[in-house]
Amino acid sequence: MIEFNDVTKIFPNGTVALENINLKIEDGEFVFIVGASGAGKSTLMRLLLREEQVTSGVLRVGDYNLNKIPNYKIPYYRRQLGMVFQDFRLFDKKTVYENVAFAMRVIGEPTSVIKRRVPTILSIVGLVDKYKNFPSELSGGEQQRVALARALANNPRIIIADEPTANIDPKMKMEIMNLLVKINSKGKTVIVVTHEKNIVDYFQKRVITIRDGHIVEDRIGGMFEEDETV
Amino acid sequence: MRRYNIFYFFQQAFKGLWRNGLMSLAAITVLLSCLVLMGSFSLLVYNVNVNIEEVAQLNEIVVIAELDATDEQIAALSEEIAALDNIKEVKYISEEEGLESERFRYGEYSYLVDDIFENQENILPDVFKITYEDNSRVANLVYQLGQLDHVSKVNNRTDIANDIENIKSGVSFIFVWFLAILFVISIFIIINTIKLGVESRNREISAMRYIGATNFFMMTPFIIEGIIIGLISAGLAYLLQTILYNAIFNAMSNDYKMISVTPLSEVQTYLILGFIVIGVIAGILGSAISLRKYMKV
Ligand SMILES: Nc1ncnc2c1ncn2[C@@H]1O[C@H](COP(=O)(O)OP(=O)(O)O)[C@@H](O)[C@H]1O
Ligand SMILES: [Mg+2]
Repeated sequence: MIEFNDVTKIFPNGTVALENINLKIEDGEFVFIVGASGAGKSTLMRLLLREEQVTSGVLRVGDYNLNKIPNYKIPYYRRQLGMVFQDFRLFDKKTVYENVAFAMRVIGEPTSVIKRRVPTILSIVGLVDKYKNFPSELSGGEQQRVALARALANNPRIIIADEPTANIDPKMKMEIMNLLVKINSKGKTVIVVTHEKNIVDYFQKRVITIRDGHIVEDRIGGMFEEDETV
Repeated sequence: MRRYNIFYFFQQAFKGLWRNGLMSLAAITVLLSCLVLMGSFSLLVYNVNVNIEEVAQLNEIVVIAELDATDEQIAALSEEIAALDNIKEVKYISEEEGLESERFRYGEYSYLVDDIFENQENILPDVFKITYEDNSRVANLVYQLGQLDHVSKVNNRTDIANDIENIKSGVSFIFVWFLAILFVISIFIIINTIKLGVESRNREISAMRYIGATNFFMMTPFIIEGIIIGLISAGLAYLLQTILYNAIFNAMSNDYKMISVTPLSEVQTYLILGFIVIGVIAGILGSAISLRKYMKV
């Protein structure tokens, strides 16, 4: 479970990015986070990643209290999260296979496990036949699927996707979203930050709307509010 | 924590060296030059010290008594010398002992000494070898010794020893500063090499951070890269130093027999160890310093 308890984030320059956020996301939920540019969505994600610390309030993820987690434990905490970014952030000089394998190598998985698991994960995202390709040889949609495969590699409990469809061909956007829904149906918590009204409206999931650092709406089967569209 | 793949770390380190080839080459060249300069300086100082020690054995005053002085007069002279100020030790060498050391000097021809001195009295003078306490008052001591009765001559080589002593402390002083500066320069170059590597891989490193890579995992290849730079530099420096030193050794041994040059084989263990230790320390320090900034959480 993810729990924001009266969380406020003020950056050193005085910008109040989030104010008095109270939010609970249960294990296995699928959540959209929507809002205009500058509303504070990415800040919320960065707090979850423990890239930034809360200014006040308490943030808990699973067994971890992120206010109190010591620095050396942060990498181990992050292994529970699978991150997907709008700019993919793949390892350009590694093949599809190596991108996924590397995520496992980072946490010290033995090669035998890596060899067994990578093909399985690549088949989930439908990229088995591209395992030898480099990211530059793939379309945006395919690259994002590699990123998703990499995020899944270490079997995280939570998938966090910050605008995952922003840089993808319109025809392929749904493919990525369907994958995320499929991953969610296997029991993982999925949090998707997005700008895209038609996607949010289509899936009829829980929608949390942020405006100027505040949660202004939190509704299951919600719609993207008209005035939030960019 | 699970066991990491050592092979991966080394592979990454070598890739890093290769990727920033020119910068790595620069780092190795500078570190190597620093090591050779350090080595040359150390060897120079070492050899100067060895030669000084040989000269320093002259660091005594030899008082030669008059040949015809009687035993009583010698005994009196001995007491007078001992009573002087600034005396540390007085060693009396009798005529017989003098003969003995002459025989020793002639080795297998020592019978010649006996032939020459046979049945002759008072061929060699009695001698006092004096060591003193305070360098600065030697001139005064030498003068006082000269004034004593039955002294024929006072030999003093202390001036040379003092000059060399002064040169030695001057050289050591410059030496230490020079080494420190060279060391700092080497580390500075390595910092920049590793920094370049980290910056060119910044995207990769930030992606690794999201996957949950520990600082240990991200830093180790760079530390190894620094160590490899240190080791390569040490190896090349040793090669170069050997060539240089042997050339100088041969030249010096042929032309200036009065100066004794230590053969490299006597000091090579210290030289190679010193190079490795300094090279590796410079490598580790350089990469650690450049990583400090990047390894935030
Ligand atoms: N590191 C930072 N320092 C100062 N202000 C920041 C920083 N990061 C974000 N902000 C500010 O916080 C607010 C929320 O930003 P962000 O969370 O990125 O918005 P969103 O992702 O919803 O577009 C914005 O006003 C932004 O300028
Ligand atoms: Mg954003």
